[in-house]
Amino acid sequence: MDAGLLEQMLIGALLALSVYLPLRCGQLSLATPGFFAIGGTVAALLSTRIPSFAGTGATSPLPALLLEMTLGGLLAALLALAIGGTVLRLRGIYLAIATIALVEILRVITLNLSFTGGALGIFGIPQPFATASGYAGFTLVLLALVCWLCARLEQLRLGRAMAAIRDDELAAACVGIDTAQVKLQAFVLSALLAGLTGVLAAHFLNSWNAKVGSFDASITTLAFVVFGGSRTWLGPVIGGLVLTALPELLRPVGDLRLIVFGLVILLGPVLFPQGLITPQRLQGLGPWVAGLGQQLRGRVPGPWRR
Amino acid sequence: MSTVPLLEAVPLREAVPLLQVEGLSCRFGGLLALNNVSLAVRQGEIFGLIGPNGAGKTTLFNVISALTPPSAGRVLWRGALIPASRPDQLSRLGLARTFQNLRLFDSLSVRDNVLVGLHRFAASPLAAGLLGSATVRRRQRELEQRALELLALVGLEDQAQLPASGLPYGERRRLELARALATEPQLLLLDEPAAGMNPAEKDDLCGLIRTIRNRFELTVMIIEHHVPLMMRLCDRLAVLNFGERIALGSPAAVRQDPRVIEAYLGSSR
Repeated sequence: MDAGLLEQMLIGALLALSVYLPLRCGQLSLATPGFFAIGGTVAALLSTRIPSFAGTGATSPLPALLLEMTLGGLLAALLALAIGGTVLRLRGIYLAIATIALVEILRVITLNLSFTGGALGIFGIPQPFATASGYAGFTLVLLALVCWLCARLEQLRLGRAMAAIRDDELAAACVGIDTAQVKLQAFVLSALLAGLTGVLAAHFLNSWNAKVGSFDASITTLAFVVFGGSRTWLGPVIGGLVLTALPELLRPVGDLRLIVFGLVILLGPVLFPQGLITPQRLQGLGPWVAGLGQQLRGRVPGPWRR
Repeated sequence: MSTVPLLEAVPLREAVPLLQVEGLSCRFGGLLALNNVSLAVRQGEIFGLIGPNGAGKTTLFNVISALTPPSAGRVLWRGALIPASRPDQLSRLGLARTFQNLRLFDSLSVRDNVLVGLHRFAASPLAAGLLGSATVRRRQRELEQRALELLALVGLEDQAQLPASGLPYGERRRLELARALATEPQLLLLDEPAAGMNPAEKDDLCGLIRTIRNRFELTVMIIEHHVPLMMRLCDRLAVLNFGERIALGSPAAVRQDPRVIEAYLGSSR
C-alpha cells in the first residue's frame, strides 16, 4: 500500500479517537478539527519561523517534532480547559452546535490573521521524515500507544465513570461522580490528542491553512466514529482507517466514487446501527481470534485440518 | 448560665437528628408538590414515607438529594446547613439513594455497576492508573473484592460478570441497592424498593433492609406503597398527602390518625 495513504488513514484513526473520547461519556463534541487546526498551526509557525525547529531544510530534527507535538497538544488542551467548563453545560445536539461554532471561530481567526498566512496559509513546512513510510511508522507507534491508553482507560475509574455518565448522568452524579469534571477531562484529553495529531499532519502535508479545520472535517471525523462504533476504542480506529482510505481506493471508479462513498456512509448506520464494532461482536470474535493465535503457534489443529 | 449541659451528657442520637427538613416547599408552575413540610430523621432509624400517589414523596427525596431545588425551606445535615449543592457532593457527605424507576448503568456489567459506586474510593493519579502500577493494581483488586462482597450481600455474586441490562426486574432492584451501599452512605434513601415484588420477595427485602441497617449502621428513609410492610419495617412514619405532612409518628400512632384514614379511604362525611 502507498505509505502516503497509510499515513492519512492513521491520522484519520487518531482523529476518530479524539471524537470518541468525549462521546464515551455521552458528549457529542465536534470540536476535534478545531483542536487539530491549532496543533497544525503551532507546528507550521514554529518550524517555518524558528531556525532551530526548521533544521537543515531537508529534514527537521525529530526532537523539534516531539516538542511541537507537546506544545501543540498542550495549547489545544488549554483552550479546551478554558472553554470546556462553559461549553459542556450544553447537552446533545446543543453541544454539537456550540463546538461547530468553536471550529468556525478558529477557522475565521486563522483566515484573517496575517501571521497564519491568511487564506493561503503557511507553505514549505520542513519534513522531520524524508519519506512517507517514515511518517507512517512514527504515526503507527503513536496510534498504538493511544489505543493502548484508551484500552487501559476503559478498565480504570475514569473510564468507568465516563461510561456511567453516558448511560445515566443523573445516577452517576448520585453515586458521587463529579460529572462536570469527568466530562471536562474527556474533552481536554480529546483536544490534546487532536492537537498533537495536527502537528504531525502539518509536517506531512507540507502546507497548512484555515480550510483544514472546517465544518466538513467535523462531520467527516464524526462519520468515522458513527461508522466504526462508539462503544470501544477499536470502532473509531477501524472507522477512521476505512473511511479515510475509501475515497482513495475508489479512484478507479472515477466520478462515481463520491456517490459510492456517500452510500457507504449512509448504509453503515442502516446496516450496523451501533457501528461496525460493538462489544458483543468483539466478544464473539474473542474465541475465534484466540483460536487463530493458537493455531498460528501450531498447538491445536485448525478447524479445516480436521 | 453556669449549668450548660455538656454535649457528651446527652446521647448524640437524641441531641442532633441526622437529617432535618424545615418548612420545605416545592412548586412546579401551578402545582405545589410540597407544602411547608418539616420532619427530622434520627440516626439509626428506619423512617418511612407513605402517602397516596402524587403526594410529593419522591419530590421530597429529590429535594433532599439535591436533584430538585426547593422553592422554600431548608435541609439540615447533622443540624447544620448542607455545604453542598450537587448530588455528587451529597454522595461524598454520606447520602445515597435508589430510584423509583431504576437507573442502572446498562452497558456495564453487574460488577462494574457496583465499582462505579466505589468511585470515590478508587482515586489514583491518572498516570499511575494508566501504567498500572503495583499499588494501583492492588487497590483495584481490593475494590473488586469489595464489589463482590456487596453483590453477595444482595445475592447477586453469581451474576457479577453479566451485563446489568440482562438482569430480571427484582435483581435490578437489588443491584441498585448494592450500588448505593458501595458509596458507604450514612443515610440511604430507598424509593419504592419493593415495587413490583411478590409478597415473599417483599418479606425478603424487609429482612435485607434490616440487615444492612444493622450491619452498616445506616439510617434508612424509605418510600413504599405497601402499608402493612411499612408498619412492620419502620420505626417511625411520616404521611404526605397533596404535598402536606399530615401525620408523623410511630406506626401504631399513624395507623390511628384520622387524617391518615381520610387520606387513604376518603372522608366519612
